[in-house]
Amino acid sequence: MDLKVNGQVVALPEIASDPAMPLLWALRDGLNLTGTKFGCGVAACGACTVHLDGQPARACVTPLGACAGKAVTTIEGLAAPGAPHALQLAWLAEQVPQCGYCQSGMLMAAAALLAKNRQPTDADIDAAMSNLCRCGTYPRVRAAIKLAAKGIKA
Amino acid sequence: MKRRTWLLAGAGAAGALIVGWGLLPPRSRLGQAGTLPVVAGEVGLNGWIKIAADGQVVLAMNRSEMGQGVHTGLAQLVAEELDVPLRTVRLTAAGHDSLYGNVAAMLGNMPFGPRDEGRLPERIAHWATVRVARELGINLTGGSSSMADAWEPLRLAAATARAQLLGAMALKHKLPLAELSVKDGIVHHASGALGHYGEVAAQAALTPPGEVTLKPAAQWRQIGQALPRIDLAGKVDGRARFGLDVREPGQLFAAVRHCPMLGGGLGPVRNLAQVMAMPGVLRLVTLGAMAGSTPAYAVVARTTWHAQQAARALEVDWQPPPKGRVDSAAVERQLASTAQAAHRAGEGFAFRSEGDVVVGLKGAARQLTAVYSAPYLAHVTMEPMNCTVQLGDGAATVWAPTQVPGAAREAAARVLGLPEAAVTVHVTYLGGGFGRRLEVDFIAQAARVALECGGAPVQLVWSREEDMTHDFYRPAGAAVLQAGLDAAGKPVALSITNAGDALVPRWLARIVPKVSGLIEVLTRNGYPDSRAPAALTAAGDAPDKTAAEGLFDLPYAVPALRVAHVATHSGIPVGSWRAVGHSHHAFFIESFIDELAHAAGADPVAYRLALLDGLPRHAAVLKRAAEAAGWAQPLPAGVARGVALHESFGSIVAQVVEVTKLGGQPRVRRVVCALDCGTVVNPGVVARQMESGIVFGLSAALHGRIDVVGSEVQQKNFPDQPLLTLAQCPAIETYFVPSDGPPTGVGEPGTPPLAPALANAWFALTGERRRRLPLLG
Repeated sequence: MDLKVNGQVVALPEIASDPAMPLLWALRDGLNLTGTKFGCGVAACGACTVHLDGQPARACVTPLGACAGKAVTTIEGLAAPGAPHALQLAWLAEQVPQCGYCQSGMLMAAAALLAKNRQPTDADIDAAMSNLCRCGTYPRVRAAIKLAAKGIKA
Repeated sequence: MKRRTWLLAGAGAAGALIVGWGLLPPRSRLGQAGTLPVVAGEVGLNGWIKIAADGQVVLAMNRSEMGQGVHTGLAQLVAEELDVPLRTVRLTAAGHDSLYGNVAAMLGNMPFGPRDEGRLPERIAHWATVRVARELGINLTGGSSSMADAWEPLRLAAATARAQLLGAMALKHKLPLAELSVKDGIVHHASGALGHYGEVAAQAALTPPGEVTLKPAAQWRQIGQALPRIDLAGKVDGRARFGLDVREPGQLFAAVRHCPMLGGGLGPVRNLAQVMAMPGVLRLVTLGAMAGSTPAYAVVARTTWHAQQAARALEVDWQPPPKGRVDSAAVERQLASTAQAAHRAGEGFAFRSEGDVVVGLKGAARQLTAVYSAPYLAHVTMEPMNCTVQLGDGAATVWAPTQVPGAAREAAARVLGLPEAAVTVHVTYLGGGFGRRLEVDFIAQAARVALECGGAPVQLVWSREEDMTHDFYRPAGAAVLQAGLDAAGKPVALSITNAGDALVPRWLARIVPKVSGLIEVLTRNGYPDSRAPAALTAAGDAPDKTAAEGLFDLPYAVPALRVAHVATHSGIPVGSWRAVGHSHHAFFIESFIDELAHAAGADPVAYRLALLDGLPRHAAVLKRAAEAAGWAQPLPAGVARGVALHESFGSIVAQVVEVTKLGGQPRVRRVVCALDCGTVVNPGVVARQMESGIVFGLSAALHGRIDVVGSEVQQKNFPDQPLLTLAQCPAIETYFVPSDGPPTGVGEPGTPPLAPALANAWFALTGERRRRLPLLG
């Protein structure tokens, strides 16, 4: 099976081609794209958040069969090499990550939010960012999204 | 037996067991150059520092990065003393030499009170502990101890290296040493730049350092600065490698399915043929109880998903625990009744006893008694437990997100039947630790599975459900707190008796079997007390500090004081957790002090300040928090404040919580935090650790509970055990109270004050006193 990931069409190995297989495992175990994380397996924590045609999706419950013909973007493809996304720069400026495990998902959720809403309010951020973080980076996540939004505006 | 007598008996026994006292060589923590392996072009200068050919400073990193910023903080010490930019310091994994053990963590586990320094028995026990810790060399990242442990040795190692490098440079250029200076790793003289460290590293190794002095604080350029963390670039683009991200050629994956009953056993698999026929499935491995684990089956498959599908599909006749099933509700009731019975009888191990509480209580104008309790809690690291092992020819490689690399190596070697030296452990980034990764159960399991994989690397992965239901939980606890107040409302007597499982002895036996004999000695020798309650002697546990921390070391001046602990053994596996004993004991004591303040008709801040006799640092922290929170200013209707002050891991933290009511439940809108953690090495990192500890504490205070029914944990995934979300996260402000003392802990001390500050705010808002956690549910 072919999958369009981060702008390239790649052939999935046969073992990672079952249409019932969650996208998460095709990425992680089939393609060694380990930036997308496993946290709960039930779409509750958001560590596995990727974009499907630009929309945020929880890869742990998205079957491969639902990805046919769609563009998958993972944290590895959020920005071109050497040209970081405004959110990645804001994340560094605010020193957001602690353990870092949930941060790929946080960034992908935030990127999907900013793509459709360039000036999110606190309520917009609350609604879009349902990802769980055990280290308590939430205040810095909020600040970094606002910082990136400023940058996009400018 | 008094705590001090027990301390000395224990330390003496420990020392005698390991080596005769007189035979102990003086062991500095500088280490030998040979301790640190070098590759071509590198020169080792001591056990911590080597210099690359291009002048880059390479630091042996002995601590695990789990979000607390320790890689940055420790590198910052070295960058400071060697005058190189922090971002240029390269880390290399420290090996398993006892040099890299954690002395501060072991000291932190001894039941010293924070104000015991200077008393002779404590000084002797302190000295003995340091020597024992140095000999044992247990490497662990935990107990908020990393910076305290590294503060002197790492700066000394870097300063010694610098002295050797400058000495060599002076010799090379025939210039007076005193005329050389270093900026950004380049040695300068008035006559011009002389070159970088790499140019004289080989000579430096042969140059005696002379008298080495550490930089005075006035000359610090990096210590005290909020320098950016050195590990974050890879944490925003997916490159950072956690345990679960290890990918080796030909790698297999294993999913674990434990007996759902904690401590239960395995029965036959009813549908074995069916499961083995599932796609991608390669084999089934039986895992016995390992390092405290419950027995399990592991399914090896070609992807994690195939393994997880098959593990889920297993139909097994699980066996109940041999000692019978356990219910946490019954345990929690038992804890409360045990504490109450011991309290009435004046039993329990008295960690602190001053004056006569019986007389004090009798003579008091009035008395208050309250029973507080807290549930079991899971760690819920975002990265579930996992470990990757590859067995080679007479050797093995382990990739593990672990807080205890030495114990991990030992566990893997034991299972694999290899000498420890034949096992290489790579510590990956940890997707959260919080004490869960002080355990080695999942490492032993991965090693066992690797034995069946014919040399292929295999990654053992726990599902979230296995992770939540087979944890080593924060122990449940209960306490009776009884105070006698004088006519003015000031406490004249305070008696506290708490009950709960002592966790450190069992943890040590799980992770360091070589000291289990020592634990036996401490247990037996420490417990000749004929007044020890039956529950305690039956358990046979030493009264470890975690069982009483946060209670016996309370800061308030009370003329008659007794803090006693009854060590129980509930049968539910328990382990360390963020601020473990402090995490619930702070809730008990700081809520009760609030009760006393209200009983006295006093302001909760003023009441505490009046009891902080001779403790100006505590008073300063409390005042700073109150002032920053606008304690004296009125709040809008429907909002109330609560305060708590708690010392843990050497740091003093006060928090003021502002709470409102939303749908009949508490909703925290603001938390103001002030702290004194000694010298602040990186204020950015420390502030984030306070935020982290506060969010962790708030999650626990509102939602945290683990219920065990028939030995089965009921909370299995996030919907059953909610965590605080971004939308629910309050605004958090952190303020530092300046201090020039050595650095103390920051990873954990932010957590304990949150629950009592919140409960006290809730009382102020509603008049309802909550004495049991969590507040919701």
